[in-house]
Amino acid sequence: MADIVLAYCSSHAPMMSSAREAAPEQQRNNFFGALDWIRDEAASRGVQACVVLSNEHFTNFFLENFPQTCIGLGERNWGPTEEWLPIDKMWIPGHPGLANHIAQHTLNAGFDPAFSHQLELDHGIMTVYYELDHDMKLPLVPIVQNCAVPPLMPVRRAYEFGKALGDAIRSYDGLDRVAVIGAGGLSHWIGTPRVGDIDEEFDRWFLDRLERGELDQVLDMPDEEIELAGNGNHEMRSWLAVAGAVAPTPARKLAYEPIYPWITGMAVAEFETAAPPAR
Amino acid sequence: MSLYQLHRCVYDWVRAGEVSDKGGDAGREGFDASVYELTDDEKKAFETKDVAALYQLGLHAVLLNRFCRAAGFARDEYRKILEPFGSTERRRGRWQT
Repeated sequence: MADIVLAYCSSHAPMMSSAREAAPEQQRNNFFGALDWIRDEAASRGVQACVVLSNEHFTNFFLENFPQTCIGLGERNWGPTEEWLPIDKMWIPGHPGLANHIAQHTLNAGFDPAFSHQLELDHGIMTVYYELDHDMKLPLVPIVQNCAVPPLMPVRRAYEFGKALGDAIRSYDGLDRVAVIGAGGLSHWIGTPRVGDIDEEFDRWFLDRLERGELDQVLDMPDEEIELAGNGNHEMRSWLAVAGAVAPTPARKLAYEPIYPWITGMAVAEFETAAPPAR
Repeated sequence: MSLYQLHRCVYDWVRAGEVSDKGGDAGREGFDASVYELTDDEKKAFETKDVAALYQLGLHAVLLNRFCRAAGFARDEYRKILEPFGSTERRRGRWQT
């Protein structure tokens, strides 16, 4: 059976790739330093495949059909789609075995994820995946979530989906060591008069709750309240799904930087999962 | 009905310039907005890249953000355009002391 040997979340503002140097040097170093540490840990822990959850930004789905959750089952997926994002465009290997197992397991657990045999991956997944593996060869199971187009899945259900996801990964016998990753958040506004604002107070409160393992107040939040920290704050669903996948393990903040040139509260947090078995 | 058409038009235009695995897209240069059932106001807002009008017409914020990026508006530029439509937030979140 597979172990979740690495679980973490990271913000995914596209400017972390497209306008990297726009961030103040110290903030940039702190943020990428955390992701560098993650990359080293992934190598030392022998991660064989990763599952990455992120928001669907009108890249694969449109208003005719907008699933709350969609699992990428394909042998490969394409990304990144944004022409201006300075990450090589290429086919990213999937992991159909793990992905199908996740789909079946979560269906059996009472969820109804959509599936796709070929997804297009935008900055939401690709920025964070690239920082994990610059060669972009690590098999990736993408899971896109609706964090943008109402009606949205309640955050508590995103967390519960994460629990089923964690159980699915741990019951898969085709791999030994898997990483689960949430990409998105924290506070930010896009396409509104408040674009560029960051709610540092919310970000620190949210990270503190993750570190304490006290999620009830977060999981009770209605969408109207979540939006007080930005319409991009709905991406907390990806973080909460990862928290669910490894529950009750608390998080450890590796970096938090309110990077105004990137219009986002940029954070990296790891969940201290059990040490992997000796290889 | 029409608002859907506006969303569809903007979405298709943005996607036309992106890097698809399929290749062979005509790109945004040859984009034909006449196939969409837009009102005069919607058509004008799209064709003149009027960010304020698109916002007021109700274009989804994520799509408006992508439109601005694809149309060459820097974030500071489009914030200045949208700022007059902002309002003071009086509600408070549970994290606010």
